[in-house]
Amino acid sequence: MSQLRKDPICGRWVIIAGERSKRPDDFRQPGGERAAETPGFCPFCPGNETKTPPEVFALRPGSSPADSPGWQVRVVPNKFPALSRGAPAPRTGEGLFVRMDGVGVHEVVIETPDHGREMSDLSLDQLKDVLRIYRERIRSIEREKQYRYIQVFKNKGREAGASLSHPHTQIVATPIVPKRVKEEIYGAERLLAKHGECAFCLVLRHETQRGERVILRNEHFCVLAPYASRFPFEMRVNPVRHSARYTDIAEDELGSLAETMKTVLTRLKNSLSDPPYNFLIHQAPNARMTLNGGRVVSVDRSYHWHIEIIPVLTKVAGFELGTGFYINPVSPEIAAQTLSFEAPPAS
Amino acid sequence: MKAKPRILIVEDERTLCLLYREELEKEGYEVTTVLDAASALEALEKSDFDLIVSDIRLPGANGLDFIRSVMERWKTVPVIINTAYESYKQDFATWAADEYVVKSGSLEELKKKIRALLEKRHVAA
Repeated sequence: MSQLRKDPICGRWVIIAGERSKRPDDFRQPGGERAAETPGFCPFCPGNETKTPPEVFALRPGSSPADSPGWQVRVVPNKFPALSRGAPAPRTGEGLFVRMDGVGVHEVVIETPDHGREMSDLSLDQLKDVLRIYRERIRSIEREKQYRYIQVFKNKGREAGASLSHPHTQIVATPIVPKRVKEEIYGAERLLAKHGECAFCLVLRHETQRGERVILRNEHFCVLAPYASRFPFEMRVNPVRHSARYTDIAEDELGSLAETMKTVLTRLKNSLSDPPYNFLIHQAPNARMTLNGGRVVSVDRSYHWHIEIIPVLTKVAGFELGTGFYINPVSPEIAAQTLSFEAPPAS
Repeated sequence: MKAKPRILIVEDERTLCLLYREELEKEGYEVTTVLDAASALEALEKSDFDLIVSDIRLPGANGLDFIRSVMERWKTVPVIINTAYESYKQDFATWAADEYVVKSGSLEELKKKIRALLEKRHVAA
């Protein structure tokens, strides 16, 4: 029989399939995501720097000039952004219909000059550089207080929303805190009031004791298949040390995160024939939050930053859109079993 | 006499082709219009162009793939995407182009961007 499970933090319900649960082989993709690549000019490749806006940051070991080849990681603003930088005007609207200017920041982190590599192929040092650059870019954008939330995310593969296969991550800052993040924050604050402790830390302790949904654990990070996973083989990378903000990550933790991400992304690639995926960093907003009842909190005690990795193996359809319920055909316990081991690369 | 800047328009709607030709010729450009990506590639093989204006939804081809293949061979020719859809901006393949213009009732923005890109290339009308 299937099970209804409730996410302990945000209270979202999901349906986890029962005995007809699918197996990893049901999701293997012939040829892998690379087969979908359309050949052609790539604006992210070295030599094509004039096709991007001027870089806002680049890691250039040989001190080559800006906007020329010789970089290892390059950050550029979005060429055709949906949100434009600037000070937001106050919200306006008519009656119930509220609106505001499309103000925000949208940057692209080009993770490597090598078009054919992907994040899991990067060396640990390269990956650590990329993760450090996320931290530095968030810190830089956060100084502009009008941006209340900064989302780092990666779309890998066409089905996950990436149109170019050249490895890249996006950073988007918005003048409002998104609803999904607010749901987590409200849940975390409620549980802090109830238990006197960060709910994410409680979940981590409980899951570590039980072990059945732990994919990987090291000194600094614990990767779980969340109890109420919405998607098959969903993973959540949690820092062991309580911290609300990715920007607080220390140098040794960055090295450990690089190792953790490389391991789990490689396992995902090998176990499921290189599936498309999204990953996103959830962290505390760049502002204090006003909760229901008017209480203003910093969420530093209640919130716990984490990375969600979501393989794109199923389609969100009418039931999910209509109800907010997700139906997950792979139980998190099976996902954890599958992703806990090194699988050989798919042939 | 100074040669007129040559513009290639890739647009599958015949009425728009006529409109663009008329309006841009008035600005002093020499305009060639084609209805699909294959004809555009043929035109590029035969003649030199100073600028390309291309739609994205083209018959038999994705305009973004067309632009990326143009950039592989004619990297220095500026390209303007001219589409009715704002949403393609989310696709980083659009970065192969130099500018992105959403079709509207007026051609002023398109004309302005053509002028600016040609001036950058030192090929003004």
